[in-house]
Parts: sequence; structure tokens; C-alpha cells
Amino acid sequence: MNNEPQQRPRNILPDCIIPALALAFTVYYLTTITEVPWISQASAIVVSSLLLLSIMAFVIRSVWRIRQHQETLQFEGAFHKLLGYLPISLKRIVLLLLAIAYVWLIDSLGFTLTTFIFVFIGIVLLSSLANWKNALIVSLSCSVIGYIVFIYFFKTRFPAGPIEHWLKGIL
Amino acid sequence: MSPDFNVFLGLFVDTLGYWWIIIPATILGIVVGAIPGFSAANTIIILLPITLAMEPATGMIFMVALYTSSRLGAGIPAILVNIPGTAGAAATPLDGYPMAVAGRGQQALAISFVSSVAAGLITTVAALLLIPWLSQVAFHLHSVEMIVVMLFGISLIATISAEDKIKGLIAGFFGLMIGYIGADVVYEAPRGSFGFLELYDKVPLIPALVGLFAISEAFVVIERSTILSEQGAIDKKQAGWGPTFEGIRATLVHWKEVIWTSLLGLVIGVIPGAGAAIASFVAYQQSRLLSKTPELYGTGHIPGLIAPESANNGVTSGTLIPLLIIGVPGGATAAIMAVVLEYHGVNFGPDLFDTQPMIAYGSFTAMFVTYVLLGLMILPLTRYFSHVMVVPTVYMAPILIAFTLVGSFVPRAYVFDMGVAIVFGIIGYIARRTGYHVAAILIGVILGPLLENYFLRALRISQGDLGVLFSSNIGNTLWVLLLLSLLAPGLKRYRGLSKSNGKKVNKV
Repeated sequence: MNNEPQQRPRNILPDCIIPALALAFTVYYLTTITEVPWISQASAIVVSSLLLLSIMAFVIRSVWRIRQHQETLQFEGAFHKLLGYLPISLKRIVLLLLAIAYVWLIDSLGFTLTTFIFVFIGIVLLSSLANWKNALIVSLSCSVIGYIVFIYFFKTRFPAGPIEHWLKGIL
Repeated sequence: MSPDFNVFLGLFVDTLGYWWIIIPATILGIVVGAIPGFSAANTIIILLPITLAMEPATGMIFMVALYTSSRLGAGIPAILVNIPGTAGAAATPLDGYPMAVAGRGQQALAISFVSSVAAGLITTVAALLLIPWLSQVAFHLHSVEMIVVMLFGISLIATISAEDKIKGLIAGFFGLMIGYIGADVVYEAPRGSFGFLELYDKVPLIPALVGLFAISEAFVVIERSTILSEQGAIDKKQAGWGPTFEGIRATLVHWKEVIWTSLLGLVIGVIPGAGAAIASFVAYQQSRLLSKTPELYGTGHIPGLIAPESANNGVTSGTLIPLLIIGVPGGATAAIMAVVLEYHGVNFGPDLFDTQPMIAYGSFTAMFVTYVLLGLMILPLTRYFSHVMVVPTVYMAPILIAFTLVGSFVPRAYVFDMGVAIVFGIIGYIARRTGYHVAAILIGVILGPLLENYFLRALRISQGDLGVLFSSNIGNTLWVLLLLSLLAPGLKRYRGLSKSNGKKVNKV
């Protein structure tokens, strides 16, 4: 009688995302070089062939391990493996959306205001709405110090918005 | 071009008199080196009105001090928060960050600083003594030889992915394919750019670095209260100055590692266009290859931190040699230095060492003095820098994302580049969660375009004949060395297995 606990097969569905992305990008890339001289194609063809060979090796190994019941390929549990359990996964998704909003808004609102909003909402979100006073102090400090150091002293080319234009007028 | 000891001593004393410009430049350099996107080159450009107004020697000393200290500063975030400040520090987190997570951040910083300062001092002296010979290196290394040097760096992909070679190779080749995005150097044909004009000039490096390391790291760490592991947090609380001294001692014990990796960095730095990233990747790969304990690399192994830090600081003095001797800058920062000095009427060439020794030899003595002052100033700060590790991730993650995203905007001033950083952040996050090494992707992104440039040039010169790859004696020697370095780990394992089998047979 075998008393050893049987190890559950590892779900490798999330592990397939990077090879799938690499494969999709390589196919797209190769379609864009059909018209260029062969010298411009050569390097990419060599590397894409090596990439395709590596992906094939990954697929063959995975099939073999699935048949050995060491690995499995299923949607169940894949989301958790990739993003973590529910509260954390939600935080990650909202933080990503916030980062996208930051990039989208920074051109019109400028560095100082967008950074203040992003850092404040980010801290409040990650601390589950508990730390709004600290969030206010930290986000205000970040945007003010960022403005003074990078824009005022270093004259760095940060995106400018209403606050930067207003301060430029009075300083 | 070879003055006696007294001339060097006189220059050294003269340079010490410029402490008032070296110290602020050093502090500034550490800060800009530590923030991704704010390289020494950018900062010198921003401060051009100041440097152009200075005397040529003062301006040169200011730029050299800023450049030197930025190289050292780039290692600080690489160790503490897994974010290399520049591409030259991309190999530093491989062993530096695991040390920091384990509560040995202070020790790792001390190792990084001591090996950087020691490498800087060694290579500055070596550069001064070997200028006539080192200036010839660039003449002998052409496209063909550079292809092999690049392949040495790229072979690190297989080295760092020892845990799962297939995943490592997929990540590395994926990175190389991403590196091929954009117009090629010969025909200017746009390839794989998704129709974005912003990608015609290749994938911007800083956004790729910010995304793969900083943004993905910010998404990963939010499931912990601080970056430190549980044991690391306990060890950190108990630490005083001990880890700093332990770091200094550990680096001095590995003095051979410091010397040979810094000299490797010096030689690679002499080659125009090669740079600190290649030097640190090659040094890490070779260090692991020659190690008796290669399996420890990537787990917080001290030589794994010493090798890239020594090599990328060794590059610093190397990049000045082709600039001063033939007027060809070895990198972006050296190119901006050239602009400033040419504005002041400085004519580059071997004569510079006779006509303006304070500029020619003085550049190296300025570097030497900067490293001495850096060592004195920065080592006491290791204890305080390492407190970054205890900042709660609820504060650190949003601040990291905001400032590194803006950092990716700075080099080209395109909001598009911030979007590129987010895309790389998503790729990096998926890679981290599923066991693919983000450093392998980054090596591909950095070295891919360089490899292709040299490959295209070689084929262009030979009119498409692939035989050109084996047409030079130096190139062929490098090919053999590359082959040996790729086969050596397998041979070592085979010999190890044979020995253990032999012992078993003898026992039976």
C-alpha cells in the first residue's frame, strides 16, 4: 500500500501564454519581411527558426508530461495561477487599469496632477481603502517633490499640464 | 604618450583640487544613475549650458565624475527593488536581488560598491598604462569579431535559465525577435513595427527595461507586505553595520574575480558601440562558466554580483580611450563629452596627450579621484539605502509605477514609450508568474539589434557571402573560445558523472 500523498499534476495552461505570444509575434514578423532583401531577412529567419524549434520542444515535453500525469492543461485554476487569489487578482487588474489611465491622461493633465491622482488612488486601493490620510500625504509629497526636482531644477521634459503651465507663469 | 610617474602624481594632486566640482557631480550621478531613464548622457545634455560655460578641464572633470558615479548608482535599485537603473546594470539583479529579498540587501550593496570602486580604480590605472595597446583593440575588432562577442553575451540566456532550459531559450529568442523590430541599418526596411512610426527606430530600451523589471515587479510584490521575505525581515531588524563590513570582506576575498571581470569590461569598453550591458552579460556568463559552484548563480551568489558590477565599471574608462585617441566615442555619454570638448576647441588624437595632458590623462585621473571619493562617501550609506526594503508595498508599488513610467518618457519624450513600458510590464508579469526569466527576454531585446547590425554590415561588406563570418584569425579564435564556453558545462558534468561512476565501481 502506497501511503505517499500523490502529487497533483501541474496546470501548464498559463505557461503556454509566452510561447503563444512569441509564436504569434514571429508569424506576424515574418509576414512583414517578405518584400525586404534577403540580407535583411537572414538574421530574423535564423532566430525565428530557433524560436520555433524551442516552442516545438516545449510542446513535445508538455504532451509527454501530460501523458505521464505530471502536468495538465485546463482552464480551472489557471486564472489563480496567473493572477493570484481573488482580492489580490482584483487589485492587480485595477492597478493595471490605473496605470493605463495614467499614460492616457498624463499628456493632457501633466506629470504633477496625474502622478498625484495615480499614487493616491493606487495606495488607497492597495491598502483596501484604509489608509486614505497617509495616501494623501504620500501622493502629495511625490508629486510636489517630483515637480521641484525634475521639472523645476533639472528642467526635464516631463509632460506638462495645467499645473505646470500655471506654475511656469508664477515662478 | 607615456609620461612618467611624477606627471601622473602631479595630475592626481591637481585633480584632487577639483573636489568642489567632483562631489556634487558624484551625488548627482548616483541619483540619475539610480532612476531608470535618467542616464548620465541625458543629464549632461540637460546641464550643457553649465558645462559649456566651464573651463574645458573643469567641464571634463564634471562630466567624467557624473558618468562614473551614475554607473555605480544604477546598481542600487537593481539590488534593492529588482530595477536596473540602466541597461548596464541589467545583470546585477540576477544575484543582487535574491540577496536583498533574503535580508542581505545591505551586504549586497556593500559588495556592489566595493567591487565597482575597485574595478574603477584598477581599470583607470590599467587604461593609463596600456593606452597605446588598448587603442589598437578597436582597429582589430570588426563586424565579424563583434558578432562573436555578442554571441558570448547572448549565450547567457542558456546560462541563467538553468532551471528550465527550454523556457529560457523561448524567452531569449522571443526577446531577440522583439529586438529585431524596426528598420534595419542597411536597407531601412521597417519590420514587425505594427505600423507604429515610433518603432521604426527599434524598440526603445528604457521602456523595455522599465516594463520587464519595474512594472512587472510592482504587480508581483503587492501580494507581500514588503519586498523582504519573512526570514529576511527578521535578519534585517537585527542588522547593524555588520553586513556592510561582511560585504567589504566578501568582495576582498573574491579579488581575482574583481580584477579579471573589470579588465574584461575595460577591453569591451574600448570597442565603440559595445557598452556596459554587453560587458556585464559576458562577465556574468564567463564567471558562471569558470565557477566551481555554477549552480549557486541566480540564488544570491556573491561572485554573481561582483562580476557584472566590476565589468560595467570597467567599461567606464574603456569608453574614453577611442574618444581621446581617435575621436570616436565609445558610447552615448562619451559622444556628448566629445561635443562639449570640441566646442572648447579640443582636437582629439594622440597629440592631445602632449598638448593638453590635463584633458587627456586628466580624464583618467578624474575618474580615479571620483572612485576614491565615491568609495568614501557611499559605503556608509549602505545601511540607510537598504531601508528601502522595509517600505510597505502598498506605498512602493504605485510610486514605482508612476516614476518609472515617467522615466520611460524622458529619453525620447514620447507618451507612446510609456505605453510600450506597460506592454512590456504585462509580458514581464506573465513571464515571472509562469517561470520564464525576464532577464533572458531583456538580453535578447538589448543584444538582438546590435547582433543584427554587425551581421548586416559583415554581409554587406562580403556581398552576401556567409563565409565572411570565418574570415579573420581573431574572429576564428573567438569562435573556438565561444564553442569551448558552450561545451564546457556539458563536459564538466560528463567528467563529474564519470568520476562518480568510477568511484561507485571501485567501491563495488
